[in-house]
Amino acid sequence: MTFFLLKFSRLAISLLFILSLNFLIPRIMPGNPLFTILGPDVVGLSQKEYRELEEEYGLNATLLAQYREYLTKLLHWDLGYSYHHHRPVALLIIDHLTRTLLLLFPSVLISSLLAVIMGMVSGRFSGAAIDVLITLAFLAVYAMPTFLLAMVGLDLFSFRYNLFPLGGLKSPSCTGDLLSCPGDVLLHLVLPVAILSISSAAVKFMVTRNSVIEEKQQDYVLYARAKGISTRAIWLVHILKNASLPLLSLIALHLAFMVSGALLVEIVFSINGMGILIYEAAINRDYPVLQGCFLVLTVIVLGLNTLVDFIYGILDPRVRA
Amino acid sequence: MKKMKQPEHFKIRSVETIFGACGFLCLFIFCLISVLAPWLSPHALDTSFFPFLSPSWQHPLGTNDMGYDIFSELLHSSRVSLIIGLVAASISAFIGSLIGIVSGYFRGIMGEMVTGAIDLFLLIPALPLMIILASYLGASIWNIVFVIVLLGWCSTARAVRAKTLKLRELPFIDAMIALDIPVTRILSRHILPNVMEIISAKFVVSVAGAMLSEASLSFLGLGDPTKVSWGTMMHYAFKRGGFANGMWFWYLPPGLCIAVCAMSFVLIGLYFSKRDNGAIPWWQ
Repeated sequence: MTFFLLKFSRLAISLLFILSLNFLIPRIMPGNPLFTILGPDVVGLSQKEYRELEEEYGLNATLLAQYREYLTKLLHWDLGYSYHHHRPVALLIIDHLTRTLLLLFPSVLISSLLAVIMGMVSGRFSGAAIDVLITLAFLAVYAMPTFLLAMVGLDLFSFRYNLFPLGGLKSPSCTGDLLSCPGDVLLHLVLPVAILSISSAAVKFMVTRNSVIEEKQQDYVLYARAKGISTRAIWLVHILKNASLPLLSLIALHLAFMVSGALLVEIVFSINGMGILIYEAAINRDYPVLQGCFLVLTVIVLGLNTLVDFIYGILDPRVRA
Repeated sequence: MKKMKQPEHFKIRSVETIFGACGFLCLFIFCLISVLAPWLSPHALDTSFFPFLSPSWQHPLGTNDMGYDIFSELLHSSRVSLIIGLVAASISAFIGSLIGIVSGYFRGIMGEMVTGAIDLFLLIPALPLMIILASYLGASIWNIVFVIVLLGWCSTARAVRAKTLKLRELPFIDAMIALDIPVTRILSRHILPNVMEIISAKFVVSVAGAMLSEASLSFLGLGDPTKVSWGTMMHYAFKRGGFANGMWFWYLPPGLCIAVCAMSFVLIGLYFSKRDNGAIPWWQ
């Protein structure tokens, strides 16, 4: 019980930190905070309008009062207003988030599977040629910028060989929402998901390989062999189970990294998700959108991490001690 | 006849050594290129030719939308990419080591707080935060270095702290405390040399990480427009029709240069962490 309480309090502290960071960034950055909050689209205000907006955003109040106001607004799902899109930031994010999650979650699953399979093979034959080859391949993937991989993939498979669509999430012929033509959406997702999975599998692979090598030297493997359990069962039941535990916590930790990768893949594949939203916001200096996106993505990563920590605690009672 | 045991130092002629040597070689070549860029490049950076030319003997990689020679730009960009990577990683390594050693040596509430902070920083999606800060601060090399360092110190700090915690338990530290040797001396003369291997391994790998972060930011158009890096080149290739028109000779070479440089650093890091018996894997 204390374990869960501890994790929960850590989540609360982390959340508070992230919220405060998000609150402070526009206020400690150089420049006028009103303009940084609203973005350059409001240049050319009259003195009176400026005063009114300053009043509305409470920027002439004390920092503490502003912070209280900020938290109250967040509790009402108010993430600010984008003067560039002329829409509330929260609505914009809801629009774009689904597409990012559609890309992210299959990739988390596939990259973990890929890492486990390759990590088992590599760890089983550690030191052999196949291990060196697989490891080198994953190191190369690790060193490659995600957007390079995405560009090469798109260039090869879509531009040159016409195997996959050129980008986006659905064909122009599909006029409804994403749910109305699942087959088409699936076809559009193959390439971006494959690229995000491969590019994010590298670190997971290294961790799995390492823990497989560690586990195969443990006494229980020797004992299982002495008992007459088949090599296959030893590998697929015992070593696989123990070697994938460290991977579980890594998957959660690695989510933050994958979010960054997903944003880049989206931009190359012109998938209109959070990546494009952030990209355009950065170009137009649309700060409320940037901050809203950062906050939402970080809170999602934090929440999922806490969830995985809980699951880990249930699966492996040792960490609860 | 009994075979003489080889000294430990010579025994590591393994795959990792070969990898490390390859990494060093590649890196040496790239450093040479970046130093000699003005002499190696066939054209001056500011001479404009006909735009969108395909590769030819005169222009090995063609020309871009402004008519500049892509090959010459590629050679010159190595400077910006490598310098940002090296400077950002050096500062991260310095701050990370300092925090790691101090928080590992003085345990208690401060150590716990540092661990918590590191765990938290590792959870923040790096790219969105870097984008926000870079767009607030404006495009300049130093702002990009600052943004990379802001999140870059924590993995070094974590590894160094873990090792320092182990060293702290060894009897020779107790002996020195008993001998009343000043803490600063213990830290600088006895702890630091022992964590140096980890710091160097982490440093090398974080150069790769810093180069990749810089590339991502520049690819998004947040790089310094006056100092073209490989990432910036890819940004222009992507934005200004190079990618859509299948001009692979525009976007691919800078991408591969980033990848080869980052790979070299990772391979050297692998060699370093092998030398340390893999106590702290490089990817953590």
